[in-house]
Amino acid sequence: MSAPARKSRRYLFNLFAWTVVLVIAFPLLWMLLTSIKPQSELFLIPPALLPGEITFEHYRRLLTETPFLTYLKNSAWLAGGTTLVVIVIATLGAHSLVRFSYPGRERLATLVLFTYLLPSVVLVIPLYLLMAGLGLANTLTSLIIAYTTFALPYALWLLRSFMKAIPEDLESAALVDGASRMQAFVDVILPQAMPGIISTAMFTAILAWNEYLYALVLVNSDAARPLTTGVINMLVTSFNIEWSLLMAASVMMSVPLIVVFAFLQRYLTRGFSAGAIKG
Amino acid sequence: MAGIRFDQVSKRFGGVTAVNALSMEIQAGEFVSILGPSGCGKTTLLRMLAGLERPSAGAISIGGAVVNELAPAERNVAMVFQTYALYPHMTVAGNIEYPLKKRRVPKTERAGRVREAARVLELEALLGRKPRELSGGQQQRVALGRALVRDPAAFLLDEPLSNLDAKLRTHMRAELIRLHRRIGRTMVYVTHDQLEAMTMSQRIAVLNEGALQQFASPQDIYARPRNDFVAGFIGTPSMNFLDGRLEGTGADRVFRSGDWSLPIGALRLADEHPDPDRRVRLGVRPEHVRLDAQGEPARVILVEPTGHETILVFDYSGNEIVARMDGEVSLEPDDSVRLSFRVAKLHLFAADDGRRLNLDDS
Repeated sequence: MSAPARKSRRYLFNLFAWTVVLVIAFPLLWMLLTSIKPQSELFLIPPALLPGEITFEHYRRLLTETPFLTYLKNSAWLAGGTTLVVIVIATLGAHSLVRFSYPGRERLATLVLFTYLLPSVVLVIPLYLLMAGLGLANTLTSLIIAYTTFALPYALWLLRSFMKAIPEDLESAALVDGASRMQAFVDVILPQAMPGIISTAMFTAILAWNEYLYALVLVNSDAARPLTTGVINMLVTSFNIEWSLLMAASVMMSVPLIVVFAFLQRYLTRGFSAGAIKG
Repeated sequence: MAGIRFDQVSKRFGGVTAVNALSMEIQAGEFVSILGPSGCGKTTLLRMLAGLERPSAGAISIGGAVVNELAPAERNVAMVFQTYALYPHMTVAGNIEYPLKKRRVPKTERAGRVREAARVLELEALLGRKPRELSGGQQQRVALGRALVRDPAAFLLDEPLSNLDAKLRTHMRAELIRLHRRIGRTMVYVTHDQLEAMTMSQRIAVLNEGALQQFASPQDIYARPRNDFVAGFIGTPSMNFLDGRLEGTGADRVFRSGDWSLPIGALRLADEHPDPDRRVRLGVRPEHVRLDAQGEPARVILVEPTGHETILVFDYSGNEIVARMDGEVSLEPDDSVRLSFRVAKLHLFAADDGRRLNLDDS
C-alpha cells in the first residue's frame, strides 16, 4: 500500500473512532453543558448546544443549600469501608482457596460463586429484616455489610485467579528461607498479588459507589444516604425535577470515578485478563 | 554440617503413595543424588526433608534430631528450586539477603555476607538488578546465592540445572562440584538426569514408584545394578534385556532363549543351584556387544554415528540389540554381521522380581 493511501486510511479510521466516541460520550457532554447553563436556557426550542451564559450557580446551591456534601461523605465512607472489608477477607480467602488443601475446597469456591448468582432483589427484603433485627437499620454499617455480601464473592473469584498465577515455589522458598506462613504471605504473596488487589479494590469501590437498590431499601435518613439515592430523593419529586442541580450533582459524582480510572486504568485492564495468560 | 536419615518414611496423597517406606542414611558432607523417572517421588522426598510436606509415616532426622514436627524455618536447610523461585519484586541483593533478614541477622553483618556470597558466585555487578533482568544462568546463581548466604546444615537442590541450556548446564555442573568441595556441606540433589547424578554425586539413590531401588556409588550402580529397573534406567543407550531360562549349573551353565543359547559358565551367581527351570533376564550393556567372526549372525537395522562412537541397532535372533562401538566402524543398514557378548560383563536378573543374580564381587 502506498504512503498516501495508508495515510488516508488512518485518517478514515480516526474519523470513525472519534464519531463513535462522540456518540457514546454525548450524554456525558450534555450533562456537563446542562450543569453550567442558566435555568432559563434549559428548555429552549430548538435546544442550544453551547450555553449562552456560563454559570456555576447550580454547583454553589448544591454544595451550600443541600445535604449533597453529607451524601458525598457517606458514599466515600461506603466505598472505602466496603473495599477495605472485602479486600482483607477476599485476599486471605483467595489465598486459602488456592494454597491450602482441605476437604470441600472446590465445592466451597463454587458455592461462593453460587451466592453471587442470586439477584439482589431476592436478598434485599431478608437483608432488611436482618439489619432491623440487628439494630443496624438506617446506618452506613448496614450498607457496608450488604455491599460486602455481593462484592465479596466476585472479589474472591477475581483474586483467586490472580493468586493461582503466583508460583507455589515462591511461597515454599520463603518458608525454607525462614519465614512463617504469615510472613511469607506478606513478604512474597501480597506484592505479587498487588495488581490484582488494586483492580479488585477498584471494582469493589465502583460497585459500592454506584449501588442504588440496597441504599434505597436499607436506608431512609439523610444522615446515612449515599449520593445515588440521596440525589434522586432530593431533586426528583412527583411535581418537579431539578434538572440543573441533577446534572451538576451527576458531574460531581462522576469526577471521582473518572480520576480513579485515569490513574489505575492499567491495573483494571490486567484485572479483565486475569487467568487468561499465565504468569 | 549434618547427616540426614530417612527411617521408613512414607507419603500418601489421597490414595496415591508417592513415597513408600523409604529408609536411607546420608553422611554429613556427602553429595547425594536422588535419581528417578518423573513421578517417582523424588521431589516429594526433598519437600518432606525441607518441611514443605509432612510425612504420612516414618521419621526424618537432620543432624541426629527428628525434624518431622519442625516448620521449614526451624530446620536450617536451604533449598534451590527448579524454577529458582526468586522473589520478582526484590533485587538480587534483596533476594540473597531475605533468609538472613528472616533469621534476624544484624543489618551490618547482613551486608557483608550478601557481598561475600555475591563474590563467590560472581554476582557483584548484578546486585541492584531485578530477577527478570537476568539471564537463566544468572538467575540460577542468585538462587544458589540465596541458599549459600545462610550457611545451612544441608543444601537441597531440586533439579536446579534443568532449565538451563546444554552448555551452561555442563558449566554449572562443574561449578556445583567445585562449590561442594569448597564448602563441604551435605547436598541432596534431585534429578531425572542420570548424567548429572553420575558425574556429580558421591552416592546415588535410585527411586522408582516411591521405593528406593539402590543407594550406592555411581560406579557400583552402573556395574552392579541391584535389579533390572536400575540396570535399565542407568546408562545411555539403555542395557539390552533378553528373556530366557537357565540350564545346567556351574561351568556348564547355559542361558537359553528359544532355539538360541549362550554358555555363561564364566558368570558367578549368588545362588549356585538355581531351579533348572528358572526364568531369567539377561542384561547386556551396549558397550559389551562386539563384532566377532565366531559369534551369532545378526543384521544391522540402524546406524547412528555420533563422532567418537557409533550406536548400532541389530536384529539378533529376533531381538533388538543396541551396541556401542567406536566411531571407525563402517556398517550400513541390512549388512549381515556376527556378534558376541563379553560374558564376564553380563548381568542376570530373576524374571519374577527383577533382582540381580550375579555374585556382587563378579
